[in-house]
Amino acid sequence: MRPAGRAQPRSTRLFAGIALGTGLLVLLTQTPALAGPRGTLKGLAAPITAVVTHAVDRVDAGLGLLQDAGRQRADNHKLQAENRALKRQLAELQAAGRENADFRQALGFERSFGHRLLAASVIARSPDGWTRSVTIDRGRAEGIEPSMVVVSGAGLVGRVTDVGQHSAIVQTLVDASSRVNVYTALSGLDATAIGEGGLISMAVLPKPGVVAEPGEWALTSGIGGTYPRGIVVGQVAVFHRRDSATLETAELAPANDFGSLSTVLVIRDWMPAR
Amino acid sequence: MLIPAVLLQVTLAPNLSVAGAFPNLVLLAVVGWTLVAGAGSGLRWALAGGLLLDLVAPGPFGLHALALAAAAYAAGWCQRSFHADRLLLPFATGGLATVVYNLVLLGVADTFGQNVVLLPALQSWVAPAAVYDAVLMPAAFLLLRGLDACLPQRSAAPG
Repeated sequence: MRPAGRAQPRSTRLFAGIALGTGLLVLLTQTPALAGPRGTLKGLAAPITAVVTHAVDRVDAGLGLLQDAGRQRADNHKLQAENRALKRQLAELQAAGRENADFRQALGFERSFGHRLLAASVIARSPDGWTRSVTIDRGRAEGIEPSMVVVSGAGLVGRVTDVGQHSAIVQTLVDASSRVNVYTALSGLDATAIGEGGLISMAVLPKPGVVAEPGEWALTSGIGGTYPRGIVVGQVAVFHRRDSATLETAELAPANDFGSLSTVLVIRDWMPAR
Repeated sequence: MLIPAVLLQVTLAPNLSVAGAFPNLVLLAVVGWTLVAGAGSGLRWALAGGLLLDLVAPGPFGLHALALAAAAYAAGWCQRSFHADRLLLPFATGGLATVVYNLVLLGVADTFGQNVVLLPALQSWVAPAAVYDAVLMPAAFLLLRGLDACLPQRSAAPG
C-alpha cells in the first residue's frame, strides 16, 4: 500500500459532482413524459451505428482466415432458422391440436401473422449485460411507435421502447424488465415469462395435477393486452413443481437466439390496449 | 478514442461473448486512462464516455455516465492506494471496476422497480464480465500508457 495523495479530495469532489448531476439526469429522463425527446436524441447516433455495423460485418466477412468459418456459420444460421421455423410450426400444431375449443385461438394465431409487418435490420445491441435490447434501422418516419410488438420467423422478439426518426430500441424478452403473459400449449397453464438478463423464467399459476413437460411450447396468452395472443415465446426447459407454493416456476428456452438476431419484423397494425 | 470504443461496444463487443459475458470497451478505456492519468482525468473520460453510451443504450440518460464514474473512482482509489504494477494492478482494477459498474446499473434498476435478483445476476454475467475485463485490462493499460507517452503534453494533471 502507498499513502493516498492530495488528489483524493479533489477527485472525490469531482466524483460527487458527476454522481449528483448524472443521478438527477437519470431521474429526469426516465419519466414517461420525456420518452419522445429521449427517443429522438437516442436516434441521432443510429446512422453512424448502422455504418459501423456494416463495416464490422464486412471486415468479419473479408478476413481470409475467417472465410470458411463464416460460411459454416452462415450455413449454420440458415439451418438454425429453418429449425426454428419448423419448431414454430410444431408449436402451432401443438397449440391447435390441444382441443377443438382452441381451434379458434389457433386461427387467431394464424391471423396474427397476417398482420402488416415491417422488416428491419438490427444495427446495434445494448452495451451492457443487464439490459438486453436491440436497435433497429426503422423509426418514426417509417411508422414505428412505442409499444409496437416485434417478432421474427421463430417467434416473439419483444416490444419497442424508444423511437427515433429512423431508428428504434426494442426491449427483448430476455431483458430483466420484460414481462409477457403466456400459456403452455399442451397443459394449458397460465404463466408470466420474466426476463432475467439472458434467460427467461416463468411464474406459473398452478392447476391441481397439471404440470408442463419439458419441450412444451409457451405462447403469448394476450392477457393484459400487451401482446397479441398466440405468438411463440419459447419452450419449457425445466418445470419446478412445489406442492405448497402459490406459484410454480419454470425455465424457458427462448424461441429466438437474441445474440444472433439480424432481421426482425415489426407488427404495424396491432397496438397494445391502453 | 471514446467514440470508436462506444460504437464498437454496441456493434462488435456483443459478438465477442464468452460464457454469457462480453467485454466493455468503454470501461476498459476509462479505467485504463484512470490508471495512466489519475482519477480526475479518468472521471472526465467516464462522464464523456458514459453520456456517449447513453446515446446508444436503452433507458434514461446519465445511467452509464454514473456507472462509469463510479468505476473510474474505484479505479482511482486503486491507483492511489497500491504500487503501480504493469500487470497485477490493471488486472485487479479491471475486475473491481467492472463489478462496481454493474452494481450501479443493478442498483438503479432496483430503485426504479425492476426485479433484480442479485445473486443470479452476479453469477450469470457480472462475475464472467469482471473476469473478461480483468484479462483485457493490462493490454488496454499498456496501449493507453503508450498513447500517453506519444502525446507531447497532457493538459489535465493527474487527480
